[in-house]
Amino acid sequence: MTDSQTPLLSVRNLCVSYGAIKAVQNVSIDVFAGEIVSVIGANGAGKSTLMSAVMGDVRRESGDVFLDGKVLAKKSFQVVTQGLSLAPEGRKVFAPLTVFENLMMGAFPRNDRSGIDDDLKRVFTLFPRLEERREQYAGTLSGGEQQMLAIGRALMSRPRVLLLDEPSLGLAPIIIKEIFRELKLINEQGTTILLVEQNARQALLLSHRAYVLQTGHLIKEGLSADLLRDPDIEAAYLGGGHRKL
Amino acid sequence: MGTFIQQIINGLSLGSVYALIAVGYSLVYSILLFSNFAHGGFLVIGGYICYYTLNLMGANIWLAGFAALIGAGFCAVLTERLAYKPIRERTSVTLYLLIASMGMSIVIENLFVIIAGGRFRALPPVIPTAPVDLFGLATTSAFDLLSLAAAVVFLGGLQLFLTRTKWGLAIRAAAYDLRVAGLMGVNVGRLISIVFFVAGLLAAVGGIFLSVRYTLYPQLGAITIKAFVAAVIGGLGSLPGAVVGSLILGLAEMLTAGFLSSQLRDLVVFSLLVITLIVRPSGLFGKDIKEKV
Repeated sequence: MTDSQTPLLSVRNLCVSYGAIKAVQNVSIDVFAGEIVSVIGANGAGKSTLMSAVMGDVRRESGDVFLDGKVLAKKSFQVVTQGLSLAPEGRKVFAPLTVFENLMMGAFPRNDRSGIDDDLKRVFTLFPRLEERREQYAGTLSGGEQQMLAIGRALMSRPRVLLLDEPSLGLAPIIIKEIFRELKLINEQGTTILLVEQNARQALLLSHRAYVLQTGHLIKEGLSADLLRDPDIEAAYLGGGHRKL
Repeated sequence: MGTFIQQIINGLSLGSVYALIAVGYSLVYSILLFSNFAHGGFLVIGGYICYYTLNLMGANIWLAGFAALIGAGFCAVLTERLAYKPIRERTSVTLYLLIASMGMSIVIENLFVIIAGGRFRALPPVIPTAPVDLFGLATTSAFDLLSLAAAVVFLGGLQLFLTRTKWGLAIRAAAYDLRVAGLMGVNVGRLISIVFFVAGLLAAVGGIFLSVRYTLYPQLGAITIKAFVAAVIGGLGSLPGAVVGSLILGLAEMLTAGFLSSQLRDLVVFSLLVITLIVRPSGLFGKDIKEKV
């Protein structure tokens, strides 16, 4: 990725507070078209707050967010219309709605019938299990299936940037692998991805570039491949690096 | 036997009016998680709009009813914008909304005391009340059959709206998680307005039938307490629950009135509430969400 082009998504000096607690301080992140960028950090580092603030779900105290050089709206529903969508932490599928209805909720801002049908086919191709369970209530799905649904639902708005908040949370390693494989495919099909993860190894293996967030501050950024070999990162986030990848 | 069938029909008719009120109330509860005590005000607004359009403008019942439904819908949206929205935007504590709704209920009631006066008013005889013979089994009134029919039409319409339209889907999603519905690109402010409009509209239908049954006065909204009880018995926030709870309540009231004493009606109603709260606090259709964690 060359730095000469304008980033597709650009977060500039973002600050977010909850009362007296400063959750995100002066964070700047760039995501270029076609990239997968990950933000890694421990629990409580401010990763989810960062995502919520970008989506307009939490009030941005100061700083700006730009999409394609234009200032991003402040309210969630406008942000979605402008081209971002989020698969939130903990999946947050609509349990009493069917899989199909959940996906239709993802397409809520759209009115292009045939386009929605195309994206529905795309999601079902990526996650065939969702098609099998099309009429099943989302609350009855397994954790992995719910995560697939959350990702599929976010794709249904045909976002320019797909935001993923902890897609590996609470899932078995084999399911995580499966989901990350599909994320790579989604990216190769042309969707730019911004991912926040506690599972640093998986995130760094998937992404092109990464940022490290610690207690609300960015402490490091670089190519994911370099960060994977960085001794500090290895000690702090990759469990010493003795495990074979 | 004749009395029994007759009281069953009367009970279903009364219950169906409760259902119109309880469903709107439950709908608001399912989205914003607070008991909107101003809900009774919406049915009073509907009743008075109907009364004045009939009397002053000489309109027919269809036009007056239409005006009452739309008018009450808009007043409900206005109530939300004036009293609830400023609170919603500042805090997520729903207790404040509950208190604000009690205030709004007093405001609406007293507005009508000032504007219309406190006296009881009878709607002109626009809804037929003639006795109807039911295949020789029992006699009931045309009014009871009409209110039952109106409830079926409006509740059926609501069901179609919730299951067949995009905004209906969004409302069902928001009833589960309002914030995540917002993240899907739903304009949450508009969704809440739609919900209040629908609630106000349904309350007005109930208000018109109640005004015919009991006459119209500013405190008529107090009857919402019955709809509230019905909603709790059915399971707060559940629409099928609100309907079933309302029918149970209407039947219980009318059977008590028919076979015991009509003074025991309210006693039976609140006994049912107490029994529900002891035996099954979440109500008949209460949310026990089957979700894997």
